[in-house]
Amino acid sequence: MGSVIVAGLVSGSIYALIASGLSLVWGALGVFNFAHGVLLMMGAFAAWWVSDPAGLGLGLFAGIAASLIFMLAAGSILYALLVRPWIGTPAAELTVIMTTIAGAMFLENLALYTFGARLKALDQIVTGTVTIAGTAMHAQNLLVIILAPVLLCSLALFLKLSKHGLAIRAIAQNSEAARLLGIKVERTYFITFGVSALLAGIAGVMIGGLFNITPSMGNDPLLRAFLVVVFGGLGSLPGTIIAAYVIALIEATSSYYIGIYWTPVVLFSVLIAILLLRPNGLLGRSSS
Amino acid sequence: MTPARNKRIEIGLWIAAIAVALVLPQMLGTGVWRNLAVLAILFAVVASNWDLTLGYAGIFNFAHVAFFGIAGYVSAIATIHLGVPIWLDVGLAVVVVGALAALTAVLALRLRGIYVALVTFAFVQLCVALIISQKALTGGAVGLVGVPDLELFGFRLGSDGRSYFYLAEAVLLASTFFLRRLVRSDFGLSLVALRDNEHYAISRGISATRQRVLAMVASSLFPAVAGSIYAHYLIVASPDIFSFSLTTLILSMTLLGGTSTIFGPILAAIVLTVVTEQLASFGVIRFMIIAVLIVLTLRFLPGGIWSFGERIAAWRSRAQTQETTS
Repeated sequence: MGSVIVAGLVSGSIYALIASGLSLVWGALGVFNFAHGVLLMMGAFAAWWVSDPAGLGLGLFAGIAASLIFMLAAGSILYALLVRPWIGTPAAELTVIMTTIAGAMFLENLALYTFGARLKALDQIVTGTVTIAGTAMHAQNLLVIILAPVLLCSLALFLKLSKHGLAIRAIAQNSEAARLLGIKVERTYFITFGVSALLAGIAGVMIGGLFNITPSMGNDPLLRAFLVVVFGGLGSLPGTIIAAYVIALIEATSSYYIGIYWTPVVLFSVLIAILLLRPNGLLGRSSS
Repeated sequence: MTPARNKRIEIGLWIAAIAVALVLPQMLGTGVWRNLAVLAILFAVVASNWDLTLGYAGIFNFAHVAFFGIAGYVSAIATIHLGVPIWLDVGLAVVVVGALAALTAVLALRLRGIYVALVTFAFVQLCVALIISQKALTGGAVGLVGVPDLELFGFRLGSDGRSYFYLAEAVLLASTFFLRRLVRSDFGLSLVALRDNEHYAISRGISATRQRVLAMVASSLFPAVAGSIYAHYLIVASPDIFSFSLTTLILSMTLLGGTSTIFGPILAAIVLTVVTEQLASFGVIRFMIIAVLIVLTLRFLPGGIWSFGERIAAWRSRAQTQETTS
């Protein structure tokens, strides 16, 4: 039972980081980034390449720091190339799905071409095991469980208190009014994508330290994040975070008690049930 | 152009298409090209039917490749495990997929826009997970091998490479005829009305949910036929069909060809299948090239390849009217 909860909390932390990035971009720009899973993969590869002796060999912390800076840039470049040209066009929502899918296809194959398909892993930040309330877990797991809420709180504070965070929220609520008030919408879009990519990169580094790094490592977490944002309602940060933990705990419980193969069925059934009752997600705003 | 002249041109095009369909299998001699053509044509069926929901009805439906794949599995399971006679299994696949499309539509259409895309995307992944887990029934990750060859009056289609070519062409022609009739019918117009101004369309007495569910079902029928034939042709129903890359490929056919045209996705399906094959020696780089092509097309030719032809036609007709008036 304890190990099930630990597994659920670890995945929940990772899903929350991924899904809140998606939700943030959706709220501010009204587009959905299908390349988000690939951003996660790039974050993990950047950290690996800088830290591992097979790459630059500068050690883990240099790797993580480099990865974070790289992600801010990657998010902005992705926005400039794959999203910005279509903002304001009639079918932007659908077109951006397509351009970001194409971007994902490009970057996943670029990673495959550059690094090969061989499994890689990041060093662990902390090693050894910890026992809490009779449940033994890897220290790395505990680190993820503690770090994710801290990061999500800082995200919430950033959105509530900082100038750029307030700008993101203002645009999400009413972009025309925000523009009239002198908020630099264009610059804020870049920042939104940068922050979103940063969150994905952190999730990538966490997954890289717990499991493996491969060019396709982002696909499964992205699909779970889809379920999370549908469940929690896009654009609602608290909804997204709660949904991430709920989905992850359901997933962990059902993998343990029902079997790993039936887990997608269980998740999907829960999703359908939620949608029948609340079509805008668990905590989602009612649509316009 | 007058409607009567348009009609004549259209009938002429249909006759030309049928003539090409009759001659082409005789001309493409080698097995490689023939195989490629069969795949391109079957993908064209899926891409053009996808256009009905994605383009005309404006539903962010990402499940069409799943309909294609599921039909293959229905055929495989029916013929291998249940002993359903061939051809009947194709009909069964259509019925099952049609029912599934209706169910998906009823559930997904409670949502709007992007949520439909997410749920249908997740639905495809659910299919993969179920198929891989039910090894006894579906053959797991390997696929269900041994789908029997189709037969017509004792003639085994697999014994001559041209027969599946003809069959695929027949399906594409029938599907295209069906789609063109459908989009110009009152039903098709009501879908476009719902897409362009939902509130106004509803206020004029169009039932949004009913029309959209019907659109999903209508657009799933021919992909089901194609999926079933695909399984018979390759002798296997494989989970690879549900892969992200095939979904992306067929989706890009629909979008690059030009949505709300029906003909555009067919053209793009043929072009993309050939291009993908020509780039095969580039390995993974070919996917990067295709990705760049997709983004560039969406950037500089937002209406897709088909709009390029329409643009030229419009330019020429303008030049003509100028000539006659001057």
